[in-house]
Amino acid sequence: MVISIKFHGMQRAVTNTDSIDMTITKKTTVNDALEYVRQLYPGLHLEEGTIIVAVNLEIASLDRVLRDNDTVSFLPNIAGG
Amino acid sequence: MKILRQIEYKPARVVGGYTDRILRVDLGTQEIAIQELPPDFKDKYVGGRGYALKLIWDGTTRETRYDSPENILVMASGPLGNEPAFPGTSKFIVGTISPMTDTFIDSNIGGHFGPLLKLAGFDALAVAGISKENVVILIDGDAQTISIAAAPAYDRATDEGALSFGERLLKDVNGGEYGDSLAAVTAGQGACNARFGIINSLFFDIRRKRIRSKQAGRGGTGTVMRYKGLRGIVARSSLSKANGNNAIDKEGVRQAGSRLKAVISKCDPQQLSMSIWGTTGLSEYMDKFHIFPINNYQYGHSPESSRLFANVFLDKYFSKNIPDGCYYGCNLACAKGAENVELTRGPQAGKVVDIDGPEYETVGAVSSMGIFDPHFVMEYSWYCDEYGIDVISTGVTISFFMECFQRGFLSADDVGYELAFGNIQAADRLLHEIASGKGFGKIVGQGVARGKKWVAEKYAARNGTSEDAAMAELDKFGMEVKGLEFSMYITKESLAQQGGYGLALKGPQHDETWLIFIDQVHKELPTLEDKANALKWFPLIRTWFNATGLCKLPWIDVRNPEAAKTAEPAKNLPTLAYYVAYLNATTGSNKTLEDILDDSERLYILQKLINLRHGKGTRASDQIPLRAMGPVYFNEYEARAEYYNEWLKQQLGDNKIPASPEQRHKLIMEKRFEAYQQLCDIVYEKKGFTSEGIPKRETVEKFGLMDEQARQLLNESGS
Repeated sequence: MVISIKFHGMQRAVTNTDSIDMTITKKTTVNDALEYVRQLYPGLHLEEGTIIVAVNLEIASLDRVLRDNDTVSFLPNIAGG
Repeated sequence: MKILRQIEYKPARVVGGYTDRILRVDLGTQEIAIQELPPDFKDKYVGGRGYALKLIWDGTTRETRYDSPENILVMASGPLGNEPAFPGTSKFIVGTISPMTDTFIDSNIGGHFGPLLKLAGFDALAVAGISKENVVILIDGDAQTISIAAAPAYDRATDEGALSFGERLLKDVNGGEYGDSLAAVTAGQGACNARFGIINSLFFDIRRKRIRSKQAGRGGTGTVMRYKGLRGIVARSSLSKANGNNAIDKEGVRQAGSRLKAVISKCDPQQLSMSIWGTTGLSEYMDKFHIFPINNYQYGHSPESSRLFANVFLDKYFSKNIPDGCYYGCNLACAKGAENVELTRGPQAGKVVDIDGPEYETVGAVSSMGIFDPHFVMEYSWYCDEYGIDVISTGVTISFFMECFQRGFLSADDVGYELAFGNIQAADRLLHEIASGKGFGKIVGQGVARGKKWVAEKYAARNGTSEDAAMAELDKFGMEVKGLEFSMYITKESLAQQGGYGLALKGPQHDETWLIFIDQVHKELPTLEDKANALKWFPLIRTWFNATGLCKLPWIDVRNPEAAKTAEPAKNLPTLAYYVAYLNATTGSNKTLEDILDDSERLYILQKLINLRHGKGTRASDQIPLRAMGPVYFNEYEARAEYYNEWLKQQLGDNKIPASPEQRHKLIMEKRFEAYQQLCDIVYEKKGFTSEGIPKRETVEKFGLMDEQARQLLNESGS
């Protein structure tokens, strides 16, 4: 099973790619995906409290179990100018 | 420069953020007067928007229109508006009776003018009357003079441009050199020909070694300025900007400022990265969540949108590695700009210019015309600023007429050319026609509300239908409320932001409320009650920023990590605590956040009373176009049919959704309309209004606003 992790904004400047794939098991959670990205790209600084996680455009908790073909994004909080 | 009238004065010293003086200028009589404010004035009206509201409430009547001699153009900073030790100060408010909405409008603007006006001795400037000739006002705190002078004439291109004229004016009054002890506000020729004229705030950027500009864009303040015969205003003071508010507790200010700066330095690079690419970073996220206002807000997402994402502007245009605050000390530094950009279109094609921006709103405005060309965004940004017209209203009005063309309400014969979405040549031509008041631009320059009437008449006469029927159709997609065009966010999937736009007192501008993400994406406002509470709280805290001379972005667009530990992270309360500390340290007060919200609510109710006086204060004026509620036309439903069917399933629970797509579409819109009305009911109750959206007597009395004018108004309104 594979999920896609999308990168947005300045994240792309660090990763040099729009997205990466991650192979998952039936027990892989959002937190596992977050740790995977942190290890792969230490320069991303994905700290709790400063980002939100979306799975298939819906906000997701860190303990959510991922499914095949899910799309995961780490987004900033946006509150309007 | 020919001086027409001049007075000498001794600038008042700023103490605790205030000078307690207003400069009053009547351009009709050329009278210049300094008004001393009573001690309780600042306690009740705070500053900025509050001062503008009180001056307009007392000095104008329900008959006052934008072009009435008694209309007042107010420019006011606030007690916190000049402090390099704290990020995001220097904002000031321009307030007046609007040519768009016919009621109070205010627009906030950055740059150095607000701080310099304060250092020159004034909490606010109030300009009334209409001059017989074009003039400029010179407020010179160094020479201790205030002058009305005949507007200098240069060459035609310079005289017609808001930026060009301002640059020459700033040099003229400073011995041929730029300097950071003076700043100007100007309005351009476009403001004479369109109702949505802007005011530019020009200042010398010592790092870029050039004049930069920020804009008071919404509601036609520049149109009022030009109608008064006022080309520009210069404020000068050589007093130190450090501790510009002359705070009572300087160490308290330093501590609050350094705490906020630390949060920005740490968190902005991990979040929106505004210090790198300004507000253009929003485009990508808006597109991702179907909020980008493509083709007059029909579609929120396009495969072409990536051509307008921030990295494009950063790579191709923005000058890098230059701190870009619009005032000293702001480390969010989001005021991006580009140097040496060659114009390829329009009357000044071939000219190489410096461009301030684009902001997200400019990018969104271009997407609303179905255009995804970044160079056109740059040119559109510069021309709008130079002409002195609002990037938002210009784009939304053009896109409204494009949709009229798409849906057969207009033909090429009406316009003079094919006005289709995505047609750069047509959009570019229309932009210049609006500014020059020629051709079809004369119609478009009136804005969407008046444009709808023009189209309805034309369409009804041609087709033998009733104007009312045509108008009912145009109301569905004419993106305006109260006469002001929507700013650049699609609200279809955020009921809270539908209220945010519909209930906004000035019209649908996001600086009063922006709830789309916490509602649509974060799902933090699941119930009507939650949405209504947010629609009371956020406008009040945002009003406070507009009253005190502060930019909201360091608070709202940089989430403090500590906020995650609070019950309502979206309020970013840990950062707001720095602002409360900054206020108290500056003014010597001992206020809590609740006190601040109470102060704001007084201003909010006063603005509501002005709206009521001008016929824009009831429930009818809070209604929004169906396009803002959902997929008003079938093509919009079809574009996201799977999403909308799922939404309908959730709404209906066990009930089956209708079989035909047409029935589903109809039912979706009925449910959206019903929800909006329910939301209005709850919000009115929470704000202390009647079900018709009129303030109750006890609400007006609670905030000490029940004067004779308010009493009469409420009697007439049946409140």
